[in-house]
Amino acid sequence: MSTVAVEVVYRGIFQKTLARNIVRTIVFAARKEGKIGTAFGRYGDSPERNGIPAKQFAIVSDSPEELEENLAVYEAGEVDVTINVDDTMCKGIESWAWYGLQPINALTKPGGTLIVTSRQEADALIEDIHQKDSPFNLAIVPATTSFSGLWVYKDDHTDVRILGALAKVCPELVSLDSMVAALEDQGWGGLKLTSARNSFDRTTQRPVEPGEGNDETPFTFELLGWRAMEDGLVIRGIDGATGFRGGSLAEDYDPIRSNASGDTDYQPTRNSVFKKFSTRSMRPVINFETCIKCTLCWLQCPDTCFDVTPDGLYDANMDACCGCAVCEAVCPVPDCITMVNEAEFNDNDSQWEHWTRDKDGYEKWMTELIEVQKAHDADSERSHGYHSPGKYEAESESEVALTGDDD
Amino acid sequence: MTTMTQELPQVRGVKQIPVFEGFTSGHRTCQGCESALVMRLMIKAAGPRTIVVGSTGCMYVANTTYYSTPWVVPWMHTQLGSSGSAATGTAAGLASLMRKGKMQQEPINVIAFCGDGGGVDMGLSAISAALQHDEYNLLILCYDNESYANTDIQVSGSSPWGANSTFSPPGKVHRIMNRRWKKNTVPMLAAGHPDVRYVATACGSYGPDFTNKIRRALTIGGPTFIHSIDPCPKGWDYDPKYSHELGMLAVETGIWVQYEIVDGELILNGPSRAIARGIRRRKPVTDYLQRQGRFAHLTEEDLKFFQERIDETWEKWWIPGIVPFGPHDEGE
Repeated sequence: MSTVAVEVVYRGIFQKTLARNIVRTIVFAARKEGKIGTAFGRYGDSPERNGIPAKQFAIVSDSPEELEENLAVYEAGEVDVTINVDDTMCKGIESWAWYGLQPINALTKPGGTLIVTSRQEADALIEDIHQKDSPFNLAIVPATTSFSGLWVYKDDHTDVRILGALAKVCPELVSLDSMVAALEDQGWGGLKLTSARNSFDRTTQRPVEPGEGNDETPFTFELLGWRAMEDGLVIRGIDGATGFRGGSLAEDYDPIRSNASGDTDYQPTRNSVFKKFSTRSMRPVINFETCIKCTLCWLQCPDTCFDVTPDGLYDANMDACCGCAVCEAVCPVPDCITMVNEAEFNDNDSQWEHWTRDKDGYEKWMTELIEVQKAHDADSERSHGYHSPGKYEAESESEVALTGDDD
Repeated sequence: MTTMTQELPQVRGVKQIPVFEGFTSGHRTCQGCESALVMRLMIKAAGPRTIVVGSTGCMYVANTTYYSTPWVVPWMHTQLGSSGSAATGTAAGLASLMRKGKMQQEPINVIAFCGDGGGVDMGLSAISAALQHDEYNLLILCYDNESYANTDIQVSGSSPWGANSTFSPPGKVHRIMNRRWKKNTVPMLAAGHPDVRYVATACGSYGPDFTNKIRRALTIGGPTFIHSIDPCPKGWDYDPKYSHELGMLAVETGIWVQYEIVDGELILNGPSRAIARGIRRRKPVTDYLQRQGRFAHLTEEDLKFFQERIDETWEKWWIPGIVPFGPHDEGE
């Protein structure tokens, strides 16, 4: 009698098909061994939004009765394996379905495994992953994060590589042979099966000790119960705005006429129970020296994330930025805004404050980050959804080469 | 007869767009959500003395989860098809409270927004009714992302021909499953409600134009309607960073026409005006279509057909891009 639960943590919409391929194949493979299972998406995450962390689960049991018992709970309270398909989520996730930041390994049971697709080293990932008071294993599937949208699937073998690794780290779930048989049943063959087998052979695990890792306390929010709400279940609107960093607004501030280019410094008050930054897999790095104050980044940001500084610059608030890169796209000055992989950062500190404090230091910091990003882009271009016909196929080739070779 | 409206000056250029934020950070929309930007620009233009009513759709569901709101101004949810009735009711309620002296006399902007599902499909009759009540000042803003994007992309009356969606997945036998052409909503409302003083199309990629349209709609008096095209990275399937660019491409390819109808007079705006006057050439529709995963299954033949349909709207229609019918030609 045993039940094995697996969760896949993924970026909403971008990786929905990827997550579905993984959980579904787990269940098909389990059936090859006479077990029974169910794959399902987390109801609270639906409807999904691009980039906002979401989960899908696969629960596999020896008998139907046991499976039913496990499905009687809304979702698994702990899982044997957590699969994280974007390494920037190692910093924690804030989904639709709960309030506050949940560590990526929150549901991983003692001695369980966290599988991450990443090009980072284990130690770099452990720096981000919140500590637990029980040991777990970390397995890395070397891969550039696979993003695609809703309608066109980017087949870079990430799905089968994860399944191969899963068979290795959790042999009590299913064997590699059953996994491969389930892949064949779905019409996949050739190089894809090789990728799965190679991934099985190459996956290693790094034990993570209790207390090892990120010691930050994840942020939480206290929410009122509905009985405590005002009559009519009214919720208070957000309380206006202040000057930059909580100062008072200019005396002649006029909401109809004051503009963002030199009239006044301005900092909007933000939603206090949802931050959105865990949606971000890259963040803008701003060169304040070359900024021409055209206002476009501030104006076109769907998330109102730019604070207007007293010197008329625009400081992206890193609690609110979700990394859509529209600011980079609309900025008319070359390299004034560069999107850099979120993995390069360990805090949400203000770039403008850093720059005002230490201009030379900021210049050095910024230049290094941009160089790292450009080197990374040269290797495999940052791709965050569909671009043009044939692009996914071209991008997938180099990814497949990572584990798809026949040697 | 209409009551007094607020004074909202027109802006000249991006640098005059107000710094005021009435729709702030912390909503659960997609990365690069153009509709969230439209909400933000809308309330920037309208200012703090505004009541917003929203019918069901992304801009309701993604913005106001339990105990959470990005709104600074008062906001209320209304049912999918009732943005028109909610707008009329809110404006009438305010007028009544002021008449009875229960509220200070003051022009308050009333804006009701709806998605294309709520506006172009379900709420069309309620919007039509609202546009007939010319004693109330209100604006209905339809943010059109060309599908029921909130519930994971079902076809709406506003979805373009050939687009992939949950209801129109391309198959092996039938490649094109959405065979309807996008509904021509604004001309329909303009022609059908000749007393309405302001009806317009808009796009969030053109900030000053968008701001001015909202302000004109709120200050002209009576019920008004704005239809905005909102690129949707989720349903259109593209990299979120292209939201702004795709909005511009929709206009530059001539698929979306930017115009306003002010007191019965048609004014084309920006690139659409340049295209109509022959100053600017339309970009080929492939520049727009091939950037989106929802059109990834289209063949050369399909793209050609799409281009021909767009050409037809510009070359054969009575008013290019806007009105397809004209007077019968007597051969004179």
